[in-house]
Amino acid sequence: MAKTSSRPTIQAGSQAPYTQATKQAGPERWDKPFDPDMKEVDVDLMLSHPIFRTTAPEKFPPSIPLRGILRNDARLHQYMPGEIIVRRGDYGHSAFVIMDGAVKVLHKEPPAELLGRRPQVRPSLWGSFKRWWNRPHFAEQVTRGGPPPGLQVGRGGEARIFLQDVPGVLGADRTITLREGELFGEIAALGRTPRTATVVAEGEALLLEIRWQGLREIRKYSPAWKEQIDGRYRERSLKRHLAETPLMWNLSDETLQLIADATRFETYGEFDWHTTYQRLREAGPRELMENEPLIAREGDYPNGLLLVRSGFARVSSRYNHGERTERYLGKGQVFSLHEIVTGWRGQHVALRHSLRALGYVDVLFIPTAVIEEHILPTLPREQLAELTLPAQPAGEGKGADELLEFMVAQRFINGRATMLIDMDRCTRCDDCVRACAATHDNNPRFIRQGPEAGGVMVAGACMHCIDPVCMIGCPTGAIYRENIEGLVDIDADTCIGCSICANSCPYGTIQMVALHDEDGLPVVTEETGAPIRRATKCDLCIDEPGGPACVNACPHDALLRADMREGDKLAAWLRR
Amino acid sequence: MKSFLSRRWTLSLLAAGLALALVLAWQLARIALRPVAVYTGWLLLALVLILTFFNARKKLPFLPLLSASTWMQAHIYLGWLGCFVFVLHTGARIPDGGLEGLLAAAFAGVAVSGALGLWLSRWLPPRLVRSGESLVYERIPVLRHRLAEEVKELVRRAETEAQSSTLPDLYQRVLHAYFLRVPPPLSPLTGDDHEFHRVKLELESSRRYLNAAEQELAGQLATLLEAKRNLDTQLAGQRLLKLWLFVHIPLTYGLLVLIAAHVWLVLHYSHRL
Repeated sequence: MAKTSSRPTIQAGSQAPYTQATKQAGPERWDKPFDPDMKEVDVDLMLSHPIFRTTAPEKFPPSIPLRGILRNDARLHQYMPGEIIVRRGDYGHSAFVIMDGAVKVLHKEPPAELLGRRPQVRPSLWGSFKRWWNRPHFAEQVTRGGPPPGLQVGRGGEARIFLQDVPGVLGADRTITLREGELFGEIAALGRTPRTATVVAEGEALLLEIRWQGLREIRKYSPAWKEQIDGRYRERSLKRHLAETPLMWNLSDETLQLIADATRFETYGEFDWHTTYQRLREAGPRELMENEPLIAREGDYPNGLLLVRSGFARVSSRYNHGERTERYLGKGQVFSLHEIVTGWRGQHVALRHSLRALGYVDVLFIPTAVIEEHILPTLPREQLAELTLPAQPAGEGKGADELLEFMVAQRFINGRATMLIDMDRCTRCDDCVRACAATHDNNPRFIRQGPEAGGVMVAGACMHCIDPVCMIGCPTGAIYRENIEGLVDIDADTCIGCSICANSCPYGTIQMVALHDEDGLPVVTEETGAPIRRATKCDLCIDEPGGPACVNACPHDALLRADMREGDKLAAWLRR
Repeated sequence: MKSFLSRRWTLSLLAAGLALALVLAWQLARIALRPVAVYTGWLLLALVLILTFFNARKKLPFLPLLSASTWMQAHIYLGWLGCFVFVLHTGARIPDGGLEGLLAAAFAGVAVSGALGLWLSRWLPPRLVRSGESLVYERIPVLRHRLAEEVKELVRRAETEAQSSTLPDLYQRVLHAYFLRVPPPLSPLTGDDHEFHRVKLELESSRRYLNAAEQELAGQLATLLEAKRNLDTQLAGQRLLKLWLFVHIPLTYGLLVLIAAHVWLVLHYSHRL
């Protein structure tokens, strides 16, 4: 519902902004329902379903009732036979409950074309030459074929993707059937990880889709749901996560199971952190940090090991009247291990640093007692000595690292291929921009401008983020990852120009561009005459055998596509 | 990752070694009464063509023909080597013929503009960084216009709100011209801050006539003055970084034409054509 507002006349230079400011209702939890057309009768239908009978609505607080969650955070969706519900590798922000019918989980992934995806491109010199030779005269000229088979776009922009060759793909030995009352997609929705399997409607199926906010609340207030979701996570992913942690490489299966049973899941920050980030971007670093949820406080007792499962966290310590960023943690990294080891070896120390969520972070909490009993005795003596803290904290008087503070505050640490420009070397020749245009439909896919710190500019180019917010919510899956941790690309044939990705990108690196025909005239829709647009962004020259044209074109070694997880490489580049 | 210093040392030593080897070969060829001028001439032509191809490589970004950075390093050190071969080829004589004179002048022009461009591209960028916010060259005229408008608006406010003519007078006398001024082309080399300091001093000395409201506006004017100084530095620096190429590249094409004429004449009069 639109908010009403009143704007009084404001005197120029007024010293009383709060009395004369525009007044409107404050933002509320359910300002934007998932489905604005959801009716009370639909909510009644959901609540009468067996899956919600065990949910115990009375355990929900009056401010967030179960009915309210279903009314605002859920939607009913009727799927047709063969329609794809989720695809492996896509990012989603919702989970599904089967209300009626059945769905098939594909055990073996069919070829990309059958899922309405672009087949993987193999860069070749001949392909590059052909593209250059046939390059369009006008920027973003329509030269490609129509949408891939299987993609249907409704009048309102609603997209549906259908599996091609349904009988061939849905063979009995290749699928698992999920039936009425079953839940799926919750791990990807809550853990902000890519979907691990493709799910297709077997016949007509009615599904309840719950967005992550609602799912989080239901898990929080309904013990039955919490047990189900956590149990499934423990069963499917937790042991694998733990086994991948270097600290636990030497542990037996039984010990890992013991640790898994004692592990707690914790989530901090907002799933759609990009909206807050965009709002607070202009604020000072202090205000930004104060808005970051605190996970562990400096000076507290280290009561458990925190293992980052997804997202990022800032490690900081008090520095005079402010806080200084020491480092940041990403997936698989741990916090408070040093303090636990030092305590175990007889010298009890409090946490030397604070830990704050940068955006959204999902952590596993393993109690100190479990670490001391099962993990520390297995570590070699030298490693324990390395992990033991000195009596006095180091680093006093070292000042702050301006570039690190900047990268963390601006969340550029999310980048796998962040475009960094050494401004002390850059002659502003724009060879990088020209090379990009020459390899991309005469339209450069980045802007050689952006925030700077310490003589380094972060240019406006897609960073191919570790946590790709832009991929959440794409209705056709046009924006996709080449592989689980690969680069993010947009399939031009599948993009319907809805702008969801461009609006979601916290860094503003996705541009919506109008398409042109061979004569340079804009291409418009038949229905409304509005220009047809598509999302464009850096694809890291996926089709080019020589790699990113921007990097190759820089004559002064000023440009780097940096994986922010590789701090040593970055430091070496800065020290050159 | 190799540091710039160690790369410079490695490539300098390599170029020096090559130059030494060339001198030895040149001496041996002379002793053996070989036509050394022909050899060095062909070598020089080959070097000039390789150096010229750097520009062509920029036009073909899709080809995996090594990175532009590698080409740039080759361009720099082969350029130095080219100068050395030129000296060997001419015997360090002052040319006496018309065409030879022109050819030598063109070569010297290309070499000097190249060396100057290299120096500028290493010397100017850090100064631009220290000056302030980086600006996109093409947007600078718009930004200058916007700054001038902001100044005009501030002065108008001073006139209407404070009913005083101090800042409007200053605007008429110095600010208006300063904010519309475009710095001269070589200003980064000659130092062009004196105009900024003059205007800033005038603004500071006029503060004694301002009331509290005007003082605040004067503070904002001082910030805009800083922005204009940065804008001038960015414009002049970036313009110079582009301008030298407008000397270097056309001279190179002229040199290629003269070389073609020189080669044709040499071959013609040596009865090889």
